[in-house]
Amino acid sequence: MEIKKTGVAGTMESSDIIVRIEPKETEGIELELESAVMQQYGRQIEKVIRETLSELGVTKAYVNATDKGALDCTVAARTQAAAYRAAESTDFVWKFGGVK
Amino acid sequence: MEFYPERGVVLSPERLEKTEAFLAGMGLRYEGGADYTVQLVSESGEILGNGSLCGNVLKYIAIDERLQGEGAALTVVSGLIEEAYRRGITNLFLFTKAANEMLFRGVGFYTLAATREVCFMENSRSGLARWLSSVPKFECVTGAAVMNCNPFTLGHRYLIETAASEVPELYVFVVSEDKSRFGFEERLELVRRGTEDLKNVHVIPSGPYMISKATFPTYFIKDTANVESIYASLDLTLFAQKIAPALNIKRRFVGTEPYCAVTRNYNEIMKELLPRYGVEVTEIERKGGISASLVREAIDRCDIDTLRGLVPESTLDHIIERYF
Repeated sequence: MEIKKTGVAGTMESSDIIVRIEPKETEGIELELESAVMQQYGRQIEKVIRETLSELGVTKAYVNATDKGALDCTVAARTQAAAYRAAESTDFVWKFGGVK
Repeated sequence: MEFYPERGVVLSPERLEKTEAFLAGMGLRYEGGADYTVQLVSESGEILGNGSLCGNVLKYIAIDERLQGEGAALTVVSGLIEEAYRRGITNLFLFTKAANEMLFRGVGFYTLAATREVCFMENSRSGLARWLSSVPKFECVTGAAVMNCNPFTLGHRYLIETAASEVPELYVFVVSEDKSRFGFEERLELVRRGTEDLKNVHVIPSGPYMISKATFPTYFIKDTANVESIYASLDLTLFAQKIAPALNIKRRFVGTEPYCAVTRNYNEIMKELLPRYGVEVTEIERKGGISASLVREAIDRCDIDTLRGLVPESTLDHIIERYF
């Protein structure tokens, strides 16, 4: 999936995360994360964001996320939505039965 | 205390008056330009919190002491950020008192530069690095001049030519804001055309990282007499700490300023501040009788003969084509 423009998803409400994905010319995901629970969960949030992007085949992007204590499923959902918007793609495959 | 968020507040004359009074009570001056405003109000309609989006800058953020604590401020600021994103404005900036830095860290803003009085923040940690990576780099020592060029005159040409003869490579940063008579793209193009023959001159858009005096908000500065100095220190601190080292800039060139006290003050602060970071400041004697404001006056009079003595041919051609 190719990131073509800036895509944003999420809010700054408690238990949510806001994810902004921007185009990058060179390979690699450059991630900046600010979290209310950075100490305890910073690494886990970063892992979920990176895995979600990898599943979508996003290999080049700047990612900026401000977390307000979101659960993993929320982090994944917001990352997906931002990536689809940034890729101007609508061919989302709905996964029923929850996130793996 | 109970409060209710109101998003997209319409600042009718009456509401504006109340808002101004609230901000004044918080030590802020409303100076216009709010595109979108979020307020917190009490049950009786009293304003308890405010924040506005002005282009890509967050302004007028104030919370009544009775509500202070992260919740209220977060409601205002996140309301502004979310609306900015909805409008497709994703690169955001703000200027704040140093005391509020932590609040904005919590909503994803990072400090670009800070002085004792003011802190300049962006909603990205890598924004500046990304801009720097778009600028050509050189192994050798470089020099820099930051110019508005509204429009490009023979005076600008003289300054650039002189500076370029003193350093192996010269960056000319053209201020990227559209508050001048000549638009940014237009100014940039005229500088490029007017310096084409100088091979060691690199004309670069300043991006948002060289703060324009026209866009620097002063509404939160109590010490109005020193606004100009506060602005100058912030802009020059960012240049000295982050931009100059990344581009190996060891000299900064500036024209002498015989008329404008504000620019003269800026130059004085530059001479004091930059050498502390290893950047030598060179003032170049201004070419007598040439200024961009004389050019603009001559355009208004359609006075081509005067223009001929003020601007290079490339600028003259453009003016005739565009304004006559």
